[in-house]
Amino acid sequence: MENVLELLTGTLTQGFLYALLAYGVFITYKILDFPDLTVDGSFPLGAAVTAVLLTRGADPYLTLLFAVAVGAAAGLATGLIHVRLGVRDLLAGIITMTALFSLNLQIAGSNLTVERAVETIFTAAPTMALFGGMKLLYRKLIVSFLLALVLKLALDLYFKTKSGLLLRAVGDNETLVTTLAKDKGSVKIIGLVLANALVALCGSVVCQEQRSFSATMGTGQIVFGLAAVIIGTTVFRKMSFVKGTTAVVAGSVLYKACIQLAILAGLPANLLKLITAVLFLVILTLGNLQKTGGKQHA
Amino acid sequence: MKKLLSVLLIAAMILTLGACAPGNEPAESGPASGAELSSETESEGPSGPYLIGVCQYGEHASLDNCREGFLQGLVDSGLLTAEDFTIDYQNAGFDDAVTTQIAQSFSAENAALMCAIATPAATACYAAAEDKDIPVIFTAITDPVKAKLDSGNVTGTSDKLPVDAQLDLIRALQPDADVIGIVYTASEPNSVSAIAEYEEKAGDYGFTIESIGVTAQSEVTQAVDTLISKGVDCFSNLTDNNVVGVLAAMLEKTNEAGIPVYGSEVEQVKKGCVAAAGIDYYQLGIQTGIMAAKILTGAATCETLPYETISEYGIYVNSAALAEMSLTVPDEIAQRAVESSEA
Repeated sequence: MENVLELLTGTLTQGFLYALLAYGVFITYKILDFPDLTVDGSFPLGAAVTAVLLTRGADPYLTLLFAVAVGAAAGLATGLIHVRLGVRDLLAGIITMTALFSLNLQIAGSNLTVERAVETIFTAAPTMALFGGMKLLYRKLIVSFLLALVLKLALDLYFKTKSGLLLRAVGDNETLVTTLAKDKGSVKIIGLVLANALVALCGSVVCQEQRSFSATMGTGQIVFGLAAVIIGTTVFRKMSFVKGTTAVVAGSVLYKACIQLAILAGLPANLLKLITAVLFLVILTLGNLQKTGGKQHA
Repeated sequence: MKKLLSVLLIAAMILTLGACAPGNEPAESGPASGAELSSETESEGPSGPYLIGVCQYGEHASLDNCREGFLQGLVDSGLLTAEDFTIDYQNAGFDDAVTTQIAQSFSAENAALMCAIATPAATACYAAAEDKDIPVIFTAITDPVKAKLDSGNVTGTSDKLPVDAQLDLIRALQPDADVIGIVYTASEPNSVSAIAEYEEKAGDYGFTIESIGVTAQSEVTQAVDTLISKGVDCFSNLTDNNVVGVLAAMLEKTNEAGIPVYGSEVEQVKKGCVAAAGIDYYQLGIQTGIMAAKILTGAATCETLPYETISEYGIYVNSAALAEMSLTVPDEIAQRAVESSEA
């Protein structure tokens, strides 16, 4: 039983940690209707900055702010390339992502490991004062849950502000925004900045949890983000009281749970991805079965 | 209320998913989860079947050889499969996030030891092993010091290339060659440190190095074309995953241009490189397995067992490829060279 509990803890931790990235993708893909590939670059960017700062003895909580700042800058770059230089949305993301690959390596030097002696947000004094009595495994769960929860509530509040509503308006009906005498370009840029700040924050937290940065850690993160958002929103489609952000957390956890199940399945190791794919399909199909009518696409 | 409901719903979902999990497992470990649990408590003791979690970063001939060698090394040390140890082998498919989850599941299963093949697997296992202080044995890491895996409850084997031997071999086979072309992945720390060593030592053998760093596998053949046009006398490969992955395409181009390619391990020579002074990953795996057995049986700990490099490098040649390039192997090298070709 302890065995199952630990597996569950590990899976939930991963789900909550990566929910931060999924929030970012939720903002660009679901709200802004902007397929933002910057994610594959801004995620390791947050990790690279964090790894460098941690190994130089920086305060682990402070690194979170640095990660947010550089992530925001990455989002700003994509936004400016798209809005001001008129590059198509997909390509704008690709350009930033490609540039970031080199930039991340430049920042970190090479793949970096953060030694066990170095404190992270999971082991630093303030965290220990609150949850020091717990095993590291459960401490990681609590910290990641709190991060996901606080950011979820903050985002929910933001979406109700004028700026948040404009963000949704741009995704739904660009013309409306223009008739409101608002610049839809700036709104898009704000969305991209916010989204990539979250993604880089996720990179920072994952780096602290993993105690490492690797140049390849960003590869495929956009795929994860999209899958988490779509799985989450599909499963809770009929439950209109569930907020989008909550659905995203659930999607992230479900995604990580699918991988965990595939790992546990005990089938030949090369089938891992196939099993994961089948599990996704099952979840999405079950989600779609709930509906009684109306258009949809997963 | 609504939020509470949604949280409960998610929790219920996860629990059902989690509950399914052990049901899938007994295929290897026994008919009921009870039996599984008892075997785990045993594995913590000094004797009994040890559970070894093997996390391989991705599908790759060299890494496969490492894994097979590792298992052989355990057997060579007197441990019998099934009776003395059970293996939970997982392959992450080159996905860093998956290595994390694999490592966490090893920790949850109370593995007695984790075997990590390639650097990303090792860092993930080492992070997941922190909670229970499970020993981690790695293999196929070029620079454990740089990866900060040289102290703590972690040890293993390094696949650092014998650069001097390789340069010596190239000089012996091509006495007139001047420029060696090398394509490598700029983001692979293993390759970056190997390139630095090549550049440092090339002068001693009268070579200059012309290298191109790529960021993805798709760029390798372009880099090869560029180096061919620059007139390199030969290519020397590192243990670079991206380059080795498209070796066949690379050889097609170099064969056409009549430029020999030297490999860095036996698998590359089998695939058509002319020769290599390199490592045999199977041997490296065996060496790793023997270290693991020492730690499992309590004969040593990671602290008393520093990481090892391959004790001996081999010289591998592919006669067909050599003939095609009209290269001859001097006698003193031919005597100790091992013929390696797929045919």
